Amino acid sequence: MATLMGQPVDRLPVFAVLGAYGAKLTGVNLRTLYSDAAAYSAGQEAVLQTFGFDLVMTPFIYTAISEAFGGETAWSESQAPNMKRPGIKTAAAALLHPLPNPEQTAGLSVVLEATRRLADRYKEQVPIIAVLPGPGIMPSLIIGLEQWIETVMFEEELAGRLLDHTAPFFVSWANALLAAGADCLVVTEGTAAAEIAPRSLFAERFLPYLTTTFTQISGPKVLHQTGGRITHNLDLFSGLAGLVGVAVGSRDDLSEARRLIGPDMNLIGNLDNLSLPALSAGQISEMSRSCLDAAAPSGHYILSNAGADIPLTTPPENLRAMLSAAADYSAEISGNR
Amino acid sequence: MKPHEWSEQLLDAMINADRSGAAELIGNALANGIEPQQVIAEVLDPAIVRLGHLWEKETMSLAQNFVASKIAEDTLLRCVPDKTDSLCTKGAIVLGNIEDDFHSLGRKAVGLFLSAAGWDVYDLGNDVPAEELLEKAIEVNACAIGASAMMQTTALNIRKLRQLIDERGLTDRIKLAVGGAVFNWRPELVSEVGGDGTANNAVGADELFMRLQAEVMNRQGTP
Repeated sequence: MATLMGQPVDRLPVFAVLGAYGAKLTGVNLRTLYSDAAAYSAGQEAVLQTFGFDLVMTPFIYTAISEAFGGETAWSESQAPNMKRPGIKTAAAALLHPLPNPEQTAGLSVVLEATRRLADRYKEQVPIIAVLPGPGIMPSLIIGLEQWIETVMFEEELAGRLLDHTAPFFVSWANALLAAGADCLVVTEGTAAAEIAPRSLFAERFLPYLTTTFTQISGPKVLHQTGGRITHNLDLFSGLAGLVGVAVGSRDDLSEARRLIGPDMNLIGNLDNLSLPALSAGQISEMSRSCLDAAAPSGHYILSNAGADIPLTTPPENLRAMLSAAADYSAEISGNR
Repeated sequence: MKPHEWSEQLLDAMINADRSGAAELIGNALANGIEPQQVIAEVLDPAIVRLGHLWEKETMSLAQNFVASKIAEDTLLRCVPDKTDSLCTKGAIVLGNIEDDFHSLGRKAVGLFLSAAGWDVYDLGNDVPAEELLEKAIEVNACAIGASAMMQTTALNIRKLRQLIDERGLTDRIKLAVGGAVFNWRPELVSEVGGDGTANNAVGADELFMRLQAEVMNRQGTP
């Protein structure tokens, strides 16, 4: 947390998105993990005890949001759940749907309860990180990605009205997570990724919603690229209220990202999620080292995977390789001082 | 204006996500005496191919590609008003997102482009069990199945389809095309799940299925 807040640290921090991995370590199925706050909290405790990454995270489960708007969830034994079908078919219909109250909506209240449990256990020890979808991509959880893109591209005025309609929910959900004990919010804004939308579209239609909503959320925030590339937009983020870091994708260049974002903003990333289960521990160590060599010297850098949940098939030794690489790097740096 | 000039303008409309401009342009091309089939072959198809190159260079986003696929669909519907009347198709293809996968956008774009290219596309939707994809392929005499997956975890479910095709002795009769974001990121997954080929984008799907169809025909001795 000190790194995120720009304070001095004694070693290089390492993050990994290991929400679902808690189920693997505690032997529960993923449906139980995400439906039972105690099971989820136990999973994070197991992750922390097993690996010792520099965070715990609240449930990263976006289907809780789609369900809050009537959507159906597809559960799997191998990955975090996905939205099976949205609850609302069109943007026009979504405008008529009342916004859910986080405390009174089943899946969302489980997330809040898990957050409170993590805060009770870990507050002031390790940062408690909450992940939520950004205001620009939020409607895709309500009406589906295809319908949302179609609305954005062909019905600009209607898309704007839906963004206006759902932005207060983004704010209330973010503030509810902070009130429950989250120390920092990671906002995954898919529309900021090059693979989803061109820069002009993001800058004109979605960035204004980040700007206005961020001022209504008091906690620190990290902007996340959801697995894509974000370098092309980095120069746009400097005015976002409370922004303390940007998570860059595995195909973003860390040096270029630093040049564009400036010297004081934290960069987080950019290990390829898909490499983690596929490569050896030695290769992960080399990749981690490469990230560290590129980004750590200028400071304000957190080594991390660059996507959503790390695949459950990732061997524990590969995760330990990330930690070892950062520890070795820190030791070398302090030895050279 | 010559077809390649219309095509240039159509490509511009696709890049700029100008659906209404594209519709007007196609209308003008038809009004200027370009035959509907010529519009598809010499205006739409070259634009799609060049769009694919832009996608490969990572200068196109999902949103732009989505609009381009809609423009392709619009053009197709306008130039081939009743596809059921068409006696000359390239053949049947079955598409679907494999079991547990719900990311439909890429698959739908592939379906649109394949239809535009003259294939009879049977799109079974999201979360389709391997058995269902194979049964449909047998029913419609498809030369290939296109199985889509966005994530590594769901991509691995395609292995079951490979196994079923082989167990039924259909290895040389029904080819397995695989696609989705994860295959672009990790090309080695294509062989890992037993795929006979992949395309980096919807635009490249026609070429892929033509190749797979040729392989089937060669194996079966069809001229």
